[in-house]
Amino acid sequence: GDNISLGSKLLPGMLFFLCLKPRIPYGKKYNKKWLLTALQNKCSVPFKPVHTEGHKAQFYLEDAFTAHALVRASRQITDSEGPLHASKRDFKWIQCMAKRFDSSQRTLDLNQLRSDPDLVSQNVCPILSRKIFMDAVVKIIEENIPELVHLNLSNNKLYQLDSLADLITSAPHLKALNLSHNQLKTEKVLDRLKGLKLVDLWLEHNPLCDQFKDQPSYISAVRERFPQLVKLDGYDLPLPIVFDVVATSTIPPCKGSYFGSEEIMFLILHFLQQYFSVYDSGDRQPLLNAYHDGATFSLSQPSSQSLSREYHKDSRNLKHLKDPSTRFRLLKHTRLNVVALLNKLPKTQHDIASFNIDVNTHTSMLLSFTVSGVFKEVEGAFQDGVRAFSRVFIAVPAGNSGLCIVNDQLFVRIATMEEICSAFATPAPTPSSSLVPALSTPKQEMLSTFSLKSGMNLEWSQKCLQDNNWDFNIAAQIFTQLKVTNLECIFRL
Amino acid sequence: DSTGKGLLDFRSHVDASCRYSEEFTNIYYDCMDKKRRTLTRLYLDKATLVWNGNAVSGQAALGEFFESLPSSEFSVQTLDCQPVHELATQGQTTLLVVTAGQVKFDGHKQRYFNQNFLLTAQASPTSDQPVWKIASDCFRFQDWSS
Repeated sequence: GDNISLGSKLLPGMLFFLCLKPRIPYGKKYNKKWLLTALQNKCSVPFKPVHTEGHKAQFYLEDAFTAHALVRASRQITDSEGPLHASKRDFKWIQCMAKRFDSSQRTLDLNQLRSDPDLVSQNVCPILSRKIFMDAVVKIIEENIPELVHLNLSNNKLYQLDSLADLITSAPHLKALNLSHNQLKTEKVLDRLKGLKLVDLWLEHNPLCDQFKDQPSYISAVRERFPQLVKLDGYDLPLPIVFDVVATSTIPPCKGSYFGSEEIMFLILHFLQQYFSVYDSGDRQPLLNAYHDGATFSLSQPSSQSLSREYHKDSRNLKHLKDPSTRFRLLKHTRLNVVALLNKLPKTQHDIASFNIDVNTHTSMLLSFTVSGVFKEVEGAFQDGVRAFSRVFIAVPAGNSGLCIVNDQLFVRIATMEEICSAFATPAPTPSSSLVPALSTPKQEMLSTFSLKSGMNLEWSQKCLQDNNWDFNIAAQIFTQLKVTNLECIFRL
Repeated sequence: DSTGKGLLDFRSHVDASCRYSEEFTNIYYDCMDKKRRTLTRLYLDKATLVWNGNAVSGQAALGEFFESLPSSEFSVQTLDCQPVHELATQGQTTLLVVTAGQVKFDGHKQRYFNQNFLLTAQASPTSDQPVWKIASDCFRFQDWSS
């Protein structure tokens, strides 16, 4: 396979290989117990040697700090020949595994890892049957090659699969697994891997295979854990018969704004144009004219997010707020109280192009609609922070075909990465803005005509055209049908 | 004085609204997740639903719509409510309930949603007690455009 560099991510729990060599090459074999005791007495840091081997006393340790401490400790230990000699080696798993990963096939071949020439030349012995090594392998897979499809762990003296259980979440695309030529003793070890959607499995030359009285019971036991398996030990299995359960229906496609009628659309767009131009102006006091005397307002934000203090302070989330007095206090009643709170909220700039409007209800007495979109904070500690909102307005008719708000509920949250990237990205209606590309000339002409005919400003006219895909025919239809005079002067600000 | 009494009424109205909205939310989402076939009973005959921009109205269409949705697992994380001003409702007691949270539809990834309802108190043909019915329902995924 390719020589891929998997990067030099430091693995938490990276292993250090400490080798204590006796000074005399043919010297006696150290009594392991004596050595460990001596080290533990001298070492300032508690340590747990993972593996010791023969007379070379190799220790596998989890961190550089402990390794250092052990090296220092070892120098203080003397035998009849003098102080012991210890050397510390990093065991770079990642380079080793990189060589064994084929990115085109998404295969990782760890067959007989202890014979790997690179590792042997470093005098390192990765024993995958040890939890600490297998955990390291799984961690590397999770962080570097989560797209793994084939994994070969044959010939590694594995007797349990506990560490591999994490592969279910770390390597969700894993389909083929080779566990042949290991020491797996009973079928129960496979239970740890239930959840892996294996299609191809090698288990031969494990003691567990001898436990079955015949081939069908072997296949059956394996299939119990991996129902989608179609290949076992290289042999094709008969395809499983499934049930035609209506597993998943689809959800209907999501659409944009729903107004119900063009008259309502213009009524609401005109209203919102005026509302948000005041809302974003820096002084929200004039909004008093938009609200009914007995209007109510409340706001809520997700309890897990930390928005500006002003939102947080007045957030009314009945799921977490149980005290009746506080619940009452946070519902602002009468337009004076409503606008007083609105004026305390941080200054905003709304991205009109992002607005989506759903009209829930429309009767002769009531118009209820939900506006969602994004805005950014233009001052304060969170300046330029982008927020997403969903706001329900309930309004009654006001003089001059206008709207008068009786209920207003605002939900604010931090915008997602996607929302932030697409926010404020619409071309400017006029060529003056240097930051966003200007509209093409034909669009600019359509825009000014539309604005003139509809009575909406350029920004809102652009939004309306944008939402209708700049289809001139639709636009023309819209403004020939409506009676402009009914929509002028929504409310006096 | 009348203002004092009015405030007391308003306060108890708000208190009651909070309790009703909590009860409603529990019943609605439990029904949505576990007893989907009975969900339309919570709606008025001429109720309207706007679901990610799709408009559905009337019991028959609502029934078909909910039937067509995969099974769901809702988790409501934010709840707020307001009594709706009587000017808008011609005296019929109405409640605005606003929820937000996460939902996992079977076969689809988990998504955040915003939803709001207008509940209206209706006389019941079978009992003395009035019954809350959903007059309108507006639902949207927070990431509906992706």
